[in-house]
This record gives sequence, structure tokens and C-alpha cells, in this order.
Amino acid sequence: MNIEEPKPDAQPSTSWFERPENVRLLIIGLCAACLLLVLADLVYENPHPHFALETTFGFQAWFGFVAFVGVVFLGTLLRMIVRRDEDYYDR
Amino acid sequence: MIDSVLPPGLIMILGAWVLPFLSRKAQAIGVLVLSAISLGVFLLTPTDQHLNIGLFGLTLDVVRIDSLSRIFGIIFHLAAIISAIYALHVRDVRQHVAASVYAGAAIGACCAGDMITLFVYWELTAISSVFLIWASDNERAYRSGMRYLIIQVGSGVLLLSGVILRYVGTGSIDFVRFTPEGGAMNISAMLILLAFGIKCAFPLLHNWLQDSYPEATVTGTVFLSGFTTKLAVYALARGFPGTELLIWIGCAMTLFPIIFAVIENDLRRVLAYSLNNQLGFMVVGIGIGTELAINGTVAHAFCHIIYKALLFMSMGAVLYRVGTVKATELGGLHKSMPWTTGFCLIGAGAISGFPLLSGFISKSMIISAAGEEHLFVVWLILLVASAGVMEHSGIKIPFFAFFSHDSGKRPKEAPMHMRVAMGIAAILCIALGIGYPLLYSLLPYESDYHPYTITHVVTQLQLLLFATLAFVVLMKAHLYPAEQRSTNLDTDWVYRRAFPMLIHGGAVVIGWADGLVRRGFLALLNRFLAGVEDMFSERGMLGRPWSTGVMTFWATILLAFCLVLYYL
Repeated sequence: MNIEEPKPDAQPSTSWFERPENVRLLIIGLCAACLLLVLADLVYENPHPHFALETTFGFQAWFGFVAFVGVVFLGTLLRMIVRRDEDYYDR
Repeated sequence: MIDSVLPPGLIMILGAWVLPFLSRKAQAIGVLVLSAISLGVFLLTPTDQHLNIGLFGLTLDVVRIDSLSRIFGIIFHLAAIISAIYALHVRDVRQHVAASVYAGAAIGACCAGDMITLFVYWELTAISSVFLIWASDNERAYRSGMRYLIIQVGSGVLLLSGVILRYVGTGSIDFVRFTPEGGAMNISAMLILLAFGIKCAFPLLHNWLQDSYPEATVTGTVFLSGFTTKLAVYALARGFPGTELLIWIGCAMTLFPIIFAVIENDLRRVLAYSLNNQLGFMVVGIGIGTELAINGTVAHAFCHIIYKALLFMSMGAVLYRVGTVKATELGGLHKSMPWTTGFCLIGAGAISGFPLLSGFISKSMIISAAGEEHLFVVWLILLVASAGVMEHSGIKIPFFAFFSHDSGKRPKEAPMHMRVAMGIAAILCIALGIGYPLLYSLLPYESDYHPYTITHVVTQLQLLLFATLAFVVLMKAHLYPAEQRSTNLDTDWVYRRAFPMLIHGGAVVIGWADGLVRRGFLALLNRFLAGVEDMFSERGMLGRPWSTGVMTFWATILLAFCLVLYYL
């Protein structure tokens, strides 16, 4: 293994991704992209829908958001049940 | 009768046994050379070839190359080559031999025309691959490998039982479709389905995957991720297309692993859960069974092998350089491992299904197939699962390893050969996403599917970007569960803890009952002995001296009794 421990005197350098203004920029960019994608629903028509729900305005947008939050929420609940100490099986 | 076709995979299986005689550096190159030669021979072998061998009165169809086996053969070869490049630094002959035999066996298995040949290769994949786990050389890996081996060999035993029953019932050992259209499944088909299901990590039979893959060596996991489960997908697609049960099994498989993945700390284990979730998509496709669905399954297996290998390779590079893949101990690695970060992001994008990457053009076929069949609930579940993929593989893996909080660790960039392997996989992810017609032309059925419609691109991007937005919102609101060092219980708890506890508990109960009976009997015996002792002691009824009068009285009674008896 090539384990490289951090050098004690090394200053934690900040990269582009760590500067708060850039993080803010990324988030603003994401929000703008999301907005554009929802607005895109106004300008095209699904030529071959299978379900009525599919054609409602911004369906996959809110569905993606809700599904993601739901999965994370369920994960948090699951953790309460299944979480054990790291060495659980080694004892 | 023996034709002139060479069984695919045989070059790798037999060639592996030459490796120990080579120098340590040549061993690593040997696996790569064997895989490349094998691929060349395989590509030159025309489709619809058979090799029949007579054995014990049975005719074994050792080689059957049709459109379904060909595409799996090609992707297995590609996986072997990429993994072999990734493993060029390994100086451990066990791993090289195991990897070569394992890949060769998987290739042989997908070209097996009969069930006996399939069984032989099936078990060979199990036995060879376990050495990739054991090669980690620690107690955890040894135990985990043992569990893996027992389960894998068990799957083979079930397979053989099913095959024997089928042979007795029908006289056929051909590897064909086992479920008649709309007909009920007989016991042999059920056994075979169960055998395939174990290897495919069906819900409740899945945990060998998350248990063993993260314990294998850095390079071993990359090999493992390619073959075993996808061989099972191939076998299911061949034997059980259109089996409705598989739709629901697949749906369950897409859902539960994503929830476990949210809270798992070991990032290679997160990838194992993610692998499980992706297999779910394929199983749903097999269950739907239409031409589009089967095409989608095969295409997804093809793309999946590459991007999953890429993700495992990137986490392997982190493990190789840092010595851990625990999310709690990583973060900020993009500063010193930019190449690995970039490749990981491409893999993450591909698995999530971003347009222009491979997952987009394969997963959507399965989801569309569900739509075509008007399976509304299935369609919704697959959408939830897609958002879930974005969560664990699209965001969690790259974010916690390479960005997030700076761990202060500044490992070196991955070695050149690892970067080359990851680079090839990343290029393939992009190439498949753009040059999808080439992949579609290899699929078992004619395809006129067009993934890049405006509707599809927009809706998919909506799903993915709003899922990302949800991540940002949850992070900002401090609602995203923090990474924690932990072990999360899964079904392996049943055989790692519950069974031993039951056995231990049973032993305690038996010991207690045994003690109770023993003590009770001893107490009874002691009381009896005490009574006897009392009776024969100096003051006891039978031990004390009796007076002459009493003796005379009893002697008279006795004589009187005899007299009565005499006159009766």
C-alpha cells in the first residue's frame, strides 16, 4: 500500500471547488439549469406518451426531487434500525 | 464427433496454468495477452457455431455462439482486458491465475449450449473467483470468501439438481427457455431459477455480493464486478425471458439497495449495493421479456460492466493510494488525484444515465419497455430507482471521496496503467453514449429504438438535475445523513449472527434441560438412599433390635396367614 499521511506542516490548500464563491456559482448554475429544463416543458410535446402523468407539466422534475428526498429520508430511518458499531461482526 | 471450433474461454483457462512459470512481471502481462488472443479468436469465430461432444451417452453442446452469447462474450472479453491492464502492477501469481480462469470460465459459460457444460463453467467461476477475495490475505477476507464460496457452490448444486430433474423428466439437457409461454413453472425450472437468482443477487439472496466484493483485493473487485452477476443475467435472459415474477423481483432489487447505499460508509460496499440496484433494472427487463426489453437488458449489461468497472477502478485507485475507502476518512482527493476524479465522474455520469454517456442509451430502453407494456407501477419504480442511482453512484461516491470536506490526505495520482485502464473504460462510456447504433447492432433483436428524442433528453435531465438540486437542498438544510463509521445489518446478519445465536441458544436450552433432569434424578436417588440408610440405621425400622414379643407376634401372624392359604 502506498499510504501517504498528510504532512504535518502542509497547509491545507484550497482548490477551485472549495472557494465559497465558486460553490455558490455552481449552485446558481444548477438552479438556472433546473429552471430552464422545467420551462423547456412548455416548448416541446411528447409525441409518444404512455401514461397521462408523463405529460403533466414538469413531472420528472418534481418526481426526481421527491424521489431523491424520499430515498435519503428512508435511508435515515433505516439507519436507526440497522446501524451497529463498526467492529460488530469482529467481536 | 468433434468439430474444429475452439471453446471460447479455453485459451484463458488453460493459458492461466502457464503463468506460474513466467517471471513475476510477465505474469501480469500474460493475463492481458491471453485475454487479447482470446478476444481475437472469439471475434474470428463465426456466429451460429456448435461444438458437440459425446459423453456418457449424452451429447454436450459445448459451444453455441448465437447473437445473445456473442455480445456477452465480447463484453466479458473487454472487461477481462480492461481489468488486466488495471492489474498490471500486481505481483501475485494466485490473482493472475484466478482472474484468467475466472474470466475464461465466464466466457465459456455464456457460450455453453447445454446445462451440464453451463454447470461446469458455473462452478468454475465460483471456485476461481474466491481466490481474488482470499488474496487480500486477512482474516475478514478469508471468512467472507468462505461465505461467498459456500453460497456460490450452493447455487451450482441447486442448478445441477434442477438439471438432473429436468433430464429425468424430459430427457433434454439443452440450455433453452425453461418457461413455456404462459405456462406454470415445474420444480426443475424453479430450482434452476433459484440457482440463477442466487448468482444474480435476488432480494434476500443478495448479501453475498455486498459481503464479499468489498473484501477482495484492489484489482480483484474490478474482475468480480464484471462477470459473476452478469453471467446470471445472461442465464436468466436465456432461460426465463418474459417470466412475470422477475418484473417484481427486479423492482425490489432496484429499490432496497439504494436505501442501504445512502447510509453505507465503505464506498466499495456502496458500489456493491449500486451493482445490485443495476441488476434490478436488467431483471425487470428480462421479466417484461419483449424484444425491446431484452435488447435493453443486454445493452444495459454491456454498458453496466464498463461503467461499474470504471467506478470500482476509481475506488480501487483510492484504496491503493490511501489505504481506505471509508467515506468518513476521505474527501478533497480531487486536488492530488485529478485524473481519477475525472474518470470517476464519467463513470458516475454514465451509471446515472446522463445524455451522451452509456447508461442513458441502455437503461432508457428498459424503462421505455415498461412504458410500452403500460406497466405504470413498474415504470414509476424504475424512475425512483433512477433518482436513487443519482444519489449513491452519481453523487455520493464522487462527492465524498474526491470533494466534500478536505481530509488533508494528499495521495499520489493513480499509477499510469490504472489511469490507462480507467481512461479506456471512460472513453468506452462516452463512445457507447454517442455511437449507440454500433451497440444496438450487436443486440439479439433488430432495434429501431432512438434514445435521443427531445422528450427523453429533457425529462431525463429534469430527473437527474432536480435530484442533484434535492441533494444541495438537503446538504444546506443539514438533513443529509452524515457519514458515520458503522456496520449496517443486512440479510447476512441471519447467517452471521442469528443462526449462531440460535444454535448457541439451543445449546443453552438443552444444557439447562439436561442439568435439570440430572439434578432431579440425583436428588431422587439421594432421597432414596437416605431413606434406605434411615431404615437400616440403628434407629431405623429394619436396623434396630426388635423385642422377643414383637418377633413372636409377627411369627404368629405369618403362621396364621399360611394356615389360611392352606385351607383356601
